[in-house]
Amino acid sequence: MGAEVITVSTDTKFVHLAWQREEKDLANVKFPMASDAGGRLARIFGVYDDATGLALRGTFIINPQGKLLNAEVNYYNLGRNIDELMRKFKANLFLQKEEAQACPAKWKEEGDKTLTPSAKLVGKVHEALE
Amino acid sequence: MTEVCGCMSCNVGTTVQNFRLETYEPSKGDFGEISLETQMASKKWTILFFYPADFTFV
Repeated sequence: MGAEVITVSTDTKFVHLAWQREEKDLANVKFPMASDAGGRLARIFGVYDDATGLALRGTFIINPQGKLLNAEVNYYNLGRNIDELMRKFKANLFLQKEEAQACPAKWKEEGDKTLTPSAKLVGKVHEALE
Repeated sequence: MTEVCGCMSCNVGTTVQNFRLETYEPSKGDFGEISLETQMASKKWTILFFYPADFTFV
């Protein structure tokens, strides 16, 4: 879909290799598994936990021009929902094409109702989404 | 390279500085490298997915 998913942890690339080969749930993984040993990138993105030396569960969507468009960070024990990640990514792709539109909360995929911000829409969002 | 330490959620909307990381690439079965520069040159979106540790759960 024009995106590269890159997973990142503070483990070395050797541990990534061992884990991907060992864990059956990772058998079909095709994306790069990056090593952020020392947590330098995790610090830049604000997800480095000094108490443990590990990265928190952070997802960041960066467009092809290098602009950070979305950030989600969870504490250790709450996994991120992949459907939600896909929804946000699809929304970003759509909005890159349709610059005058906005995707409301219930937007899931192209074809769903969008909003066109303008003076006419002020106070009329309910009617626009009916 | 200067580092910005802080909450990146506060920096949504800003341009991310270039970064480079070593990788293991399962599709090639070999080690490699990724960088934001290369991603941008290939006109790709980048989704960074941080997680605590290999061989753990969730």
